[in-house]
Amino acid sequence: MTNTPAPTTSAVEHGTSSAASRLSRALAAGRARPWLPLLAAGAVVVIVYPFLASTYLLQIGFQILLYVAIGEAWNLIAGYGGMVSLGSAAFIGTGAYTLAELTGHGFPLVAAVVAGGAIAAVFAAAISPAMFRLRGVYFSVATLALAEALLLLISTISTFGGTTGLLLRSAVPSYLGLYWWGLGCAALSTAIVVWLLRSRLSLALRAIRDDQDVAQEMGVHAFRTKLVAFVLASFIMGAAGALQSLNTAYVEPSGSFSLQWTIDIVTVVIIGGMATRVGPWIGAVFTVVLVQVLASYPDIHDAITGVILILVIRFAPRGIWGTAVTTSARIRARGARGE
Amino acid sequence: MYLPTATATEQALLQGFLLGGLYALTALGLSLVLGVLRIINLAHGEFLILGAFLGYYWLQRTGVDPLLGLVVVAPVVAGVGFVVQRWALSPLVRHGDEPALLTTFSLSIIGQNLFIILFTADSRLINRSYGFRALRIGAVSVPEIYLISFAAALVIFGAVHLLMQHSAFGRQVRASAEDPVAAAVVGVRVRRVHALTFALAAGCAAIGGVLAGIAFSFDATTGTSYLLTGFAVVVLGGLGSVAGTLGGGIVLGVVESVGAAVFGDGYLDFIGLMVFLVILALRPQGIFGWARR
Repeated sequence: MTNTPAPTTSAVEHGTSSAASRLSRALAAGRARPWLPLLAAGAVVVIVYPFLASTYLLQIGFQILLYVAIGEAWNLIAGYGGMVSLGSAAFIGTGAYTLAELTGHGFPLVAAVVAGGAIAAVFAAAISPAMFRLRGVYFSVATLALAEALLLLISTISTFGGTTGLLLRSAVPSYLGLYWWGLGCAALSTAIVVWLLRSRLSLALRAIRDDQDVAQEMGVHAFRTKLVAFVLASFIMGAAGALQSLNTAYVEPSGSFSLQWTIDIVTVVIIGGMATRVGPWIGAVFTVVLVQVLASYPDIHDAITGVILILVIRFAPRGIWGTAVTTSARIRARGARGE
Repeated sequence: MYLPTATATEQALLQGFLLGGLYALTALGLSLVLGVLRIINLAHGEFLILGAFLGYYWLQRTGVDPLLGLVVVAPVVAGVGFVVQRWALSPLVRHGDEPALLTTFSLSIIGQNLFIILFTADSRLINRSYGFRALRIGAVSVPEIYLISFAAALVIFGAVHLLMQHSAFGRQVRASAEDPVAAAVVGVRVRRVHALTFALAAGCAAIGGVLAGIAFSFDATTGTSYLLTGFAVVVLGGLGSVAGTLGGGIVLGVVESVGAAVFGDGYLDFIGLMVFLVILALRPQGIFGWARR
């Protein structure tokens, strides 16, 4: 963009200017709520979808919505907050085990899902004083170690069934019911992140991501800001983990605390577009569809995912959505210049 | 939990001390890459396991002892490291830390998947008599492989130390680590130095992998636990210092071994991770002082 030649005076005075001003007027008119039609269309799709979908497609839909929820959560801390956690599995597993324990003791489903999120959030708050002493990639490594440590620890606790895990002892919802749970979770997560990004906290969070020392000198309370984002994200991940355990109807350390969760979340957000608003939704659809496309070749699924990740990180670091937005802006700008 | 007897304590101390040499060896590459390239290589464990698999198949195909096979295995893995650094990591130098970290994360995923395709998901052990034979020293006994790998660690650490401190290449590496821009200005080919350092790290990982593969069983996904053990060693030993990594390995070996004697073998890995997290949480500025950029 920087090497775009500045318009000459004559061009501004003549034809080009009227085209440009018309465009900018149109953009300004649309800018009020350009996302509203998109949102409405999306809402119609996700609400109509379950009535048309087969059991198989309901499952796919649930998976996508679950990935949207945890993708939104990870995008909040990693994309906007610069806290590239590789320990998401710890919070997802915490939520899953909480639900399994509580429903086993007769707690209603809603309470158990909320508690799954709450316990994960409390856990996040408890470890944050230690974790936030580390920045950047050191935070990433510490979270990775934390998740592995928790996996090992849970495997040794006999109350939680050791390495075998626990079967859910309560009735689990139907596939349709599960879809609505997933939709609720995804919508709520998106709403929480949107609300957070519109608050003052968002500015502080991004300032810390870009340069924590400068942000602190400007009076940003780094610890408190990061804590709010981290705890909220962990709440979402815990609730999503609880829903996942409803889907599988059992929990086990190697599944609920699996590194695969971390891989999938990273994939969803990076491919969709880190620090973009729509990225997690696009990434979740892409990731789940990719699994289905490669269903005949499950052996090489992870390798292909890894290659795609490397290519996206290198050539399209803003992911599908970020690249699409940048490209369309460039095309519009070119159109406005009458090229 | 029970209190070990005096002999058991001696046993745990000696075993841990010797095992620490192997830990240090498996962490050396991680330390080199972190110190020189300022990259946390999450695919480090996969280089190690690649070495272990190559050692396994070397023995199976040639019948020659895998310790001799190291002269082939280590350069091959180093070559893989060189290519990976050149093609996947080097282009990301100017984009900050996270893209490189996530790229090594992706490399780790690819590596584990390729191992399953190429070598199956079966658990393997490089079967050597010195892998399980115990050597009696007074009242205590240690597996011979612990002693061999400790000796190997001393040799490799000594060689790397000499290379870094007393060779032209070592001077270029240290200059590139200190200030890549200034090093480039005075004529150091920083990109080449980085790729060669990464290759050296991968080669060292392969040596550690072969020794670890003789001492313990491994499979396609074991790399992750070696990666985390490696971090514990690097954190304990302080960063960038080759000697520190050796010390860190020995400290971790002793702590884990004594911990396992007290709490039971099942807690070995968990104790290592907790040591790592506690040190990170309590003394990040002491050990990781430079990390708070």
